[in-house]
Amino acid sequence: MPRLITFLSLALLLAIRAHGVELRGPAQVKAGSAFSLSSNGSGEATLYLVGPASVSKRKVQLGSGIPVEAGEIEHAGRYVAIVCSGGDCSSANFYVFASDASKLSLLVHPSRVRVATPNAISAVAFVFDKFHNLVLTPSDVEFRVTPQQGPALTHSQPSSNGVAWVRMTSATKEGPTKIGAAVADASELRVVRQVASDACNLRIKSEWVSGKLFVQTDPVRDCGGNNVPDGTVVSFTKTDEAGKTTVDAPIKRGIARVEMPVSGEARIDVASGVVTGNELNVAGAR
Amino acid sequence: MRIALYIFTALCLFASLWSQEPADASLPKVVLAAENVGPRQIEELTSKSVPRDYAYAWKTMARALAENRSDLLDAYFTGFAKDNLARRIADQKRTGINTRYIDHGHKLEAIFYSPAGDAMQLRDRARVEIQLLDGGNVIHREQVNLQYLVLMTPGADRWLVRDLETTPEVHP
Repeated sequence: MPRLITFLSLALLLAIRAHGVELRGPAQVKAGSAFSLSSNGSGEATLYLVGPASVSKRKVQLGSGIPVEAGEIEHAGRYVAIVCSGGDCSSANFYVFASDASKLSLLVHPSRVRVATPNAISAVAFVFDKFHNLVLTPSDVEFRVTPQQGPALTHSQPSSNGVAWVRMTSATKEGPTKIGAAVADASELRVVRQVASDACNLRIKSEWVSGKLFVQTDPVRDCGGNNVPDGTVVSFTKTDEAGKTTVDAPIKRGIARVEMPVSGEARIDVASGVVTGNELNVAGAR
Repeated sequence: MRIALYIFTALCLFASLWSQEPADASLPKVVLAAENVGPRQIEELTSKSVPRDYAYAWKTMARALAENRSDLLDAYFTGFAKDNLARRIADQKRTGINTRYIDHGHKLEAIFYSPAGDAMQLRDRARVEIQLLDGGNVIHREQVNLQYLVLMTPGADRWLVRDLETTPEVHP
């Protein structure tokens, strides 16, 4: 019996010693806000503060508030505070959540798009605080589209888990358009170049110059009247009794032009991508 | 002649078996659920590469934090996630701390996949044992269920972890 009492007393003493230091802190703290952990016990102890992007270790006095500096909790996530005294350690966990929205990261795709294409442009905004933590509480992100001509269009979209996004149809007129996003005092801007769609009403004409036949297009435009970009390839195909010959020429300054040797009767047609134009019937060298 | 042919066939078979990369048993188990993702649907290949690369990222992170080697982070981390982990490892080196993760698996849920396919946000419910060591002595040990919000972006040949943030458990 005395042995049992001694054993129980020892166990009780050990239990008291193991739980001698108790550390308490808030469940959640805003990033970059100083606060205090509270502890019981007395004497000197070592405090470890382990966070997602930092680890600190310092001597503290037990029994009083243990200050945690604003700079120690700038990164959002789970922190573990541990105090160790005389071989016994006690811990407390808390979460640091993002501060107010003050930075944006904006992804806009694509950087070049054809006019009048439905849902062709997407803009995704990631909302961060000043410490680069993703702000998980909903924030209103204002997306703004500023075309080359005409008034700007805005659309407000609340973020979800720090992300807000929109999809847009490209304008009917070619030219650069600015796509921006703003939250609080932060804003980001990207430029999307809208280019003409496929050629429309592709037409060719021919002319003889110094005994050579030149075939050229009228200014190549899409159905909205936008100039098809220089460099777009136009294919001229000549069909005569010798067979079929195709010559590709890029558009330069709005038109494509080629020289085509012709002997006898020939038919010349034109195409750009999937679009075909008119046909010309020409006869022999002059 | 026939014996030589048999030997050659056996050697070919052995070589082909040998060359097959075995599944990495040391990788943590990662299961991806992508039913509720939007606005873009996850491609079949992406649905395999994301959990694979996330598993490699965790394996790499665990080793980097255990051995205080920030050079290991380059392979699967970028952006803020890499910066934060590198800072933590620098602090661990300075203070003589090491972190040991014993990974019991991850349930990944894709929650956002950008229209252009250049960013994916996921929620990870992970079960891990975390040990903190000071000079080799364990000062803290806990078995926890943690919830992470993860941002991954595609790199040249893999998905990289760009942001990794522990969040309090949210019950839907």
